[in-house]
Amino acid sequence: MTTSIDARKVLSDNGALGGLLVLVVALSVLAPSFLSTQNLLNVGVQAAVVAVLAFGSTFVIVSGGIDLSVGSVAALSAMVGAWSSTEAGLPGPLALLLGLATGVVAGLVNGALVSYGRLPAFIATLAMLSVARGLTLVVSQGTPLATPDVVSELGSNLTPFLPVPLLVMLVFFGLTAFVLTRTYQGRAMYVIGGNEEAARLSGIDVRKQKLVVYALSGLFAAVAGMLLAGRLASAGPQAAVGYELDAIAAVVIGGASLSGGVGRASGTLIGALVLAVLRNGLNQLQVSPFWQQVVIGVVIALAVLLDTLRRRSSTR
Amino acid sequence: MAELLRATGITKRFTGALALDGVDFEVRSGEVHVLLGENGAGKSTLVKVLAGVHRPDHGEVVLADGVRLAVIYQELTLVPELSVAENLFLGRPPRRFGVVDHARMRRDAVGLLDRVGLAVDPRARLGDLGIAQQQMVEIARALDQDAGVLVLDEPTAVLTDTETDRLLEIMAELRDQGVGLVFITHHLDEIRRIADRSTVLRDGRSVGVLPRGASVEQMIELMVGRTISEQYPRHRQDPGEVLLKIDGLTRDGVFRDVSIEVRAGEVVGVAGLVGAGRTEVVRAAFGADRYDSGHVEVGGERVAGGDVRAAVRAGLGLVPEDRKGQGLVLTSSVGENLGLVTLKSATRVGIVDRKGQRGRAAEMAAALRIKTSGLDQEVRELSGGNQQKVVIGKWLLADPKVLVLDEPTRGVDVGAKVEIYELVNRMTAAGRAVLLVSSDLPEVIGMSDRIVVMAHGRVAGELPAVGTTQDQVMALAVQEISA
Amino acid sequence: MNFPRRAAVAALSATALALTAACGSGGETGSGGDLTVGLAVSTLNNPYFVELKQGAEEAAAELGVKLTVVDAQNDSTNQVNQVQTFATQGLKAIIINPVDSKQATPAAKAAENANIPLIAVDRSVDDGKVASEVASDNVQGGSLAAVELGRATSGEVVHLQGIPGASAARDRGRGFEQGLNSGGIKVVASQPADFDRAKGLDVMTNLLQANPGIKGVFADNDEMALGAIKALGDKAGTQVQVVGFDGTPDGLKAVEDGTMAATVAQQPKVLGRKAVEQAVKAARGEAVQQVVDVEVKVVTKKNLAEFKK
Repeated sequence: MTTSIDARKVLSDNGALGGLLVLVVALSVLAPSFLSTQNLLNVGVQAAVVAVLAFGSTFVIVSGGIDLSVGSVAALSAMVGAWSSTEAGLPGPLALLLGLATGVVAGLVNGALVSYGRLPAFIATLAMLSVARGLTLVVSQGTPLATPDVVSELGSNLTPFLPVPLLVMLVFFGLTAFVLTRTYQGRAMYVIGGNEEAARLSGIDVRKQKLVVYALSGLFAAVAGMLLAGRLASAGPQAAVGYELDAIAAVVIGGASLSGGVGRASGTLIGALVLAVLRNGLNQLQVSPFWQQVVIGVVIALAVLLDTLRRRSSTR
Repeated sequence: MAELLRATGITKRFTGALALDGVDFEVRSGEVHVLLGENGAGKSTLVKVLAGVHRPDHGEVVLADGVRLAVIYQELTLVPELSVAENLFLGRPPRRFGVVDHARMRRDAVGLLDRVGLAVDPRARLGDLGIAQQQMVEIARALDQDAGVLVLDEPTAVLTDTETDRLLEIMAELRDQGVGLVFITHHLDEIRRIADRSTVLRDGRSVGVLPRGASVEQMIELMVGRTISEQYPRHRQDPGEVLLKIDGLTRDGVFRDVSIEVRAGEVVGVAGLVGAGRTEVVRAAFGADRYDSGHVEVGGERVAGGDVRAAVRAGLGLVPEDRKGQGLVLTSSVGENLGLVTLKSATRVGIVDRKGQRGRAAEMAAALRIKTSGLDQEVRELSGGNQQKVVIGKWLLADPKVLVLDEPTRGVDVGAKVEIYELVNRMTAAGRAVLLVSSDLPEVIGMSDRIVVMAHGRVAGELPAVGTTQDQVMALAVQEISA
Repeated sequence: MNFPRRAAVAALSATALALTAACGSGGETGSGGDLTVGLAVSTLNNPYFVELKQGAEEAAAELGVKLTVVDAQNDSTNQVNQVQTFATQGLKAIIINPVDSKQATPAAKAAENANIPLIAVDRSVDDGKVASEVASDNVQGGSLAAVELGRATSGEVVHLQGIPGASAARDRGRGFEQGLNSGGIKVVASQPADFDRAKGLDVMTNLLQANPGIKGVFADNDEMALGAIKALGDKAGTQVQVVGFDGTPDGLKAVEDGTMAATVAQQPKVLGRKAVEQAVKAARGEAVQQVVDVEVKVVTKKNLAEFKK
């Protein structure tokens, strides 16, 4: 009996992993330049921003919520960081910290609205999506600002084969996996997402935990924003528009359930890689711009469908 | 009597596991044919095969010409937002010139509701009806579709005794009209009252057909495959100091001035009709809901109101009435669920001692004899009785002073029931106490030391369990208290 | 009316007041005269249009008229609503910077029905009565970019496109293709990067993998060009020449640094200024110019000084 359980676990993991492998094999055949070391590194770098955002969203989605504000919060955090150093003249590291703190504060506001204000997460974070984007414009006055060196370093290479964004993505992957599997907060996320009332009646402080969840999501969004700004050495007022949907797509492709209680860091990483591989491949194959969005949508739907079918066949 | 349905040699496998193994089953016109068995014995699978939801691997199901089969599941398939009449004709409303003919729908609805003896306005919103009345609406709907065979899957699990009586009467009337009824229930006394014959399933096999008037002992023996010496194996002992004191608890409009004391080594039963405020009181005492006045003490210390965590710290535990909705995390494994309450205490500097949690969960699963393929199995796949053992087990791991059990054996089969009673005994033997809320009167009388009877949100009286009859409890439960 | 509802109404009114105050302080500039002109801008989420707005505000201040600015956030429906609101507010002239030329017709109708002169700026209104059209020519700019790229380099080039279907992307792309025949360059890839700097970086990186021998890049705006320059690293300005569009401050700086060979400068401030001038003339019943052409200019290192402010 134990072996069949293990097999099922591997299978449900493979839903997304299988999709990624199919995609990689297909692209290797179609685009000769796809399978080079440099290009695979590129894919990793291009996945990094969405992956870090999606790790934060994994916490939220596992605990049964949703965070639509991550793209805007990423832009705001980066902008605050850039403004503090360029306009206010603060030292780079301090500016970086201020930017990260901005993300945490935005997340705490989301969390407070959801847990203490009892707003639906969809509404609270939708409001934050607008507020954070607006504040980004206010801070930047509509123009891009240069980032401090410490942020720009985030977009550079440590060695030719070790881009910093890739490193940051892997570190945050490890962090996310650790939080989800090992810590009290992480385990509580699964319980709250699986059954909030059972969590409350088992003595878990649901409201406090939700606050932590959204604060983490805000922090991860800020890190993603710094990564994005670092890659461009500039924080843009229109940066990361719509990234929240990519993040949610990555989490769901990775096998998480939008109704909560299910999801893991490895799945989300695979989900982010699927999106990055897809965009990279579409560029290399020079698919018509009008068709690219169609293809991306179809692949997202197929990836989740595949996972759902596998799950269904393994449980019944 | 004409045969309406015949299933022969039904075999069904799910990913290797044999759910049904060569089961024969038939239903005649004008009989109540009970399907009896423990959870996991294959009753639900058989019903789904009969209804055509599952295709059998072997064997066949034959319905007589023109006979239709309808199933009333435990979870109703109605729309609470719509009216009673609209629900009765859901998906097939009477139409005239392509437009829904509301006048005719209401007329037809009255006739149908009459057949099940339900006197409600067909324009009433379904959600405003009680659960028993909703069930009647569902049955009426099945009748309109000229169901020759009506399958009722545990309809009485959610009903009070009076509602159950009414349902059994209706079933008898339908039988006299020539309908063939298949009835699934865990209440053996109901079987004795209504069954014409009972097919007993065990481990996917039909192990025998009992005639009308079979004794409860016969049924149990066939179901579990062994004799159960005592249905209520309570070991009573002398009570110790007061562990839980509920003092003058009041929530305006819900319950008033409720005082209950529970002593170490004691089981105090709380009886009463549905709506008497029993669940509301114990939830408030546990901090799950607020109360307006009064107070709660555990082990001599006051517990802040409306704060579950304070109650848990003080040594209270609650196994809630709604197992799936409030007790279990269905998306998680057996092991995770067992560790729910102890998650916090097993955490050091934010990191959970997973090994320790797993070890303790494994011990508990073994001690409670939870039937599972392992700690990693999803809890949703367990039978009702085993799920309930998981909920109780998560509390036992936290070792509360007083455990509140709200309808702990609802939907649990006989064998598992006795095991749950043994857990109650173990707790009281260890100097802990149990507050047992139950609508199952024989259970309250059989397992409690004292019984507190509630009516209309107040304590109507207290009885010693030994020597008390069901009638005495009921007399208190139905009394009118002048406000 | 019960208490919670009253409280809700009170809260709503307070919010409305606060919003009005915010509009009053941020949206209107200029104090003199009783003449108010409305400016419906497509988006302020882009430095180019922020400059256009600034130019308009400067002109309004100089001419002594009030200017009310609204931002449609790149949503055509939004913009139609805003112009309709303008029409009921007793404004003397309305300047529209259409989100989309084809979808601005209802806005034009609203102004026409209220007898308020309408001035289109930066983009035209395809169908509707317009008193004056102040624009720089995107198609011409695209051609100029192709010619400049052909002058700076020869061989394989790629084209980074704007948001698929957007009018600026359409026009610049069309102009670019028309200008191609003059030089020795050949387009080997055209891919969208949605006018976004980060996407410009990713798409350029990917295109480089498939086409390592690229000699030049044309991007539909400076933001994407700057992203492409990031992707090219040391190659930008040496082995690979990049031509952008818009002449934003960051773009001009890249020209100064030598990483960008050229950008096609529109003069958003001039556009805004001319639009207000025409609007005020129209409002006072004076004759207006039907078409005001604002020059697009190719900016290279040589003539950079003219554009740096």
